[in-house]
Amino acid sequence: MAAYLLTLSHWLLTGAAVLVLMLAVYGLLKALKARQVTAVGYALVLPWLLGFLIWQIYPFAYSFYLAFTDYNVLQPPQWVGLANFKHMFFDDPRFWPSVRLTLLYSFLSVPLGMIGALGTASLLAQEVRAVGFWRTLYYVPSVLPAAATALLWRFMFAGTGLINTFFSPVYKLLHIAPPAWFSDEKLVLPSFVIMSFWGVFGANTVILLASLKNVPKELLEAAEMDGASPWTRFARITVPMISPSLFYVMIMGIIAAMQNFTAPLFINTPGGAGTFLSVYIYQQGFTQFKMGYATAVGWFLMVMILILTVIVWKFSAAYIYYEGETRKGD
Amino acid sequence: MKRGTKLFASLLLTASLGLTACSGGGSSTPTQPGAGGGPSTAAAKVKIRLATWVGADEAKELQGVIDKVNAKATTYEIVSEPIPADYYTKIQTMIAGTTAPDLMWLGAEYMAPYASKGALLDLTDRLPKDSRAAAKVDDYFKPVMDAAQWNGKTYGLPWIAQPVILYYNKALFKAAGVPEPTDDWTWQTFQDAAKKLTDKSKGQYGTTFNGWPPVQMFIWQAGGEVISPDLKSSPVDSPEAIKGLEFYSSIIYNEAVSPARNVISEQGTGDMFKKGKIAMIFGGAADDLDRAPGLDVGVARVPKGPKDRTTFAWTASTAISAQTKNPQQAYDALVDLTEGVQNWKVLAPRKSMATKEQIIKSDPRKEKAADVIIKAAADMRAFRVVPRHPEWDTTFFEQLQDPLYSKKGTAADLAKAVRPKLEALLK
Repeated sequence: MAAYLLTLSHWLLTGAAVLVLMLAVYGLLKALKARQVTAVGYALVLPWLLGFLIWQIYPFAYSFYLAFTDYNVLQPPQWVGLANFKHMFFDDPRFWPSVRLTLLYSFLSVPLGMIGALGTASLLAQEVRAVGFWRTLYYVPSVLPAAATALLWRFMFAGTGLINTFFSPVYKLLHIAPPAWFSDEKLVLPSFVIMSFWGVFGANTVILLASLKNVPKELLEAAEMDGASPWTRFARITVPMISPSLFYVMIMGIIAAMQNFTAPLFINTPGGAGTFLSVYIYQQGFTQFKMGYATAVGWFLMVMILILTVIVWKFSAAYIYYEGETRKGD
Repeated sequence: MKRGTKLFASLLLTASLGLTACSGGGSSTPTQPGAGGGPSTAAAKVKIRLATWVGADEAKELQGVIDKVNAKATTYEIVSEPIPADYYTKIQTMIAGTTAPDLMWLGAEYMAPYASKGALLDLTDRLPKDSRAAAKVDDYFKPVMDAAQWNGKTYGLPWIAQPVILYYNKALFKAAGVPEPTDDWTWQTFQDAAKKLTDKSKGQYGTTFNGWPPVQMFIWQAGGEVISPDLKSSPVDSPEAIKGLEFYSSIIYNEAVSPARNVISEQGTGDMFKKGKIAMIFGGAADDLDRAPGLDVGVARVPKGPKDRTTFAWTASTAISAQTKNPQQAYDALVDLTEGVQNWKVLAPRKSMATKEQIIKSDPRKEKAADVIIKAAADMRAFRVVPRHPEWDTTFFEQLQDPLYSKKGTAADLAKAVRPKLEALLK
């Protein structure tokens, strides 16, 4: 109880200090002859700004510093210059396989996932009975915790699991042994890609569905009257009209795929064949006492994501059609 | 009006500075003895935080032990802080954030890494002056006490040692007409029996290896070492070590004696044994394998290797954080608590406590196994741990064991290739 009151008093004091700081900022700005709205505005965003500086900017900047240090968590960091990056690029036998796995996973899972999400969204955009029920059903997977779905998929991919049981007649017909999925080094990547489809039926489908619903009907009707086939209408009208959403889904998909963490953390694979870069960072930092090196790899991952995003962004002008919104207002 | 605003601003600024200073100073309050005491305890008792990895049920048992210790204590009060998941991640984060618990459980493989990084309080000078039984270093089994020491100094008191013993399913032995394991068993007898006890068509296997028991045990039994006594070399390519590695890889995932890798990863070796699908399994002395419902389980010492019958023992110690603000009280609590925990866990790693009566007192369910456990205790050995142990262990597994078990190379070739890499991590 005493400890609780002490914590509570700290809490209240911090709150009071922030409040006083807000008033001080207001007073200071007024004294500097700032306009009333400006002074009030800055005073009101101050709590958020403080939080942003303390909990976002500071760790971000500090991790940049840590990337150039030898930091085992238990002792203060030691400056080592570029040693972490040298080790990463030239000496670490586990780094490049992990980069390769992460990149291949992104290149495979993002396009396949987008096709899946678009297909699902197109189906859900149809005027069918109980469409609300179907839409809810397809959104449910994204409500489940990632750790639980990882375990679920591990059971499904087991040697005598759901997937192998379901396909056992096919295996028998083709005279092949049931695949070992996550237990087979060569099948680890395909297994993760298949598993990634799970993520398709969630936010992405909802975004694309909303976007599909916004495609002006007049355009589709006009094309139909001109004798355009359903495929032509889809490829020439629907896809260009929803391209901004597709672009958004792609960028977010790439970022999420590059940071794939929960599932590979929960699924054991032979010889570390399923060690994605995020998992590798976690292992290095928390189980190998190499937090400095882990932050260096973290920064490498960030730069890699940044480069990929910039590339996708640069090419976006070629295939994204942004006029939909202005036309609607006509 | 303007002047008024200015005055107001400067007043506020001063006030805010004062308040921040106040709240900053306030944070030092809880370190003062008795500040968090509460009404029920005397003000003189210092709170000693204890971090453990116990789950819900075990936490209740531990609390019972702690309550007894606290009742007798005059200078401290132990507060249990169980961390059942991500234990070491959390401990390391707390140390980095300077909020480390005063006492913490550490598995043997963490002692040297933590001690070498200055995270633990050195107990070397305090222990000889202490007359309490749990503080007598000589009473501990030497290999177990070694695991709590680094660089000639003692950093913790071991509270458990679990020598590996062999659990076997008597019904399966009878059905296959194989005589039950005795002290005469060697690697050869074990292998032959495992073969006879395997019936793949029934999904029944003689034994199982799966990275457990650790391959080190068999390397030791053959007279080899993975880390030399001076901690400077890793002679994994010595003829003795190769013998151990080859024996291990002749059993693991070999379906003539043991289940395949995917079967193990799906069904779990412990569960397979409890379901009567495995005839012989290696387990820690305190494991629940001998009380599977409907199963008549016998226990035996591990089979003898070419040199001796060394058995691996997992051990853990309680250590004091170097950050503790009350080293004396923390030390007192450590010794009292260790005595309490040693009277609760099997096997208490002290020679004077390795008796049948003590084992039955701590865990009546281990009565049948007690004799075997006591004999095994004489043969037990823990890992030699180095400051960079996690890296060393990862390399040892990923570049020697894993490729060996997946038949990607011979023991001799792989061991020769990995040795310099392992030794680089010892420097």
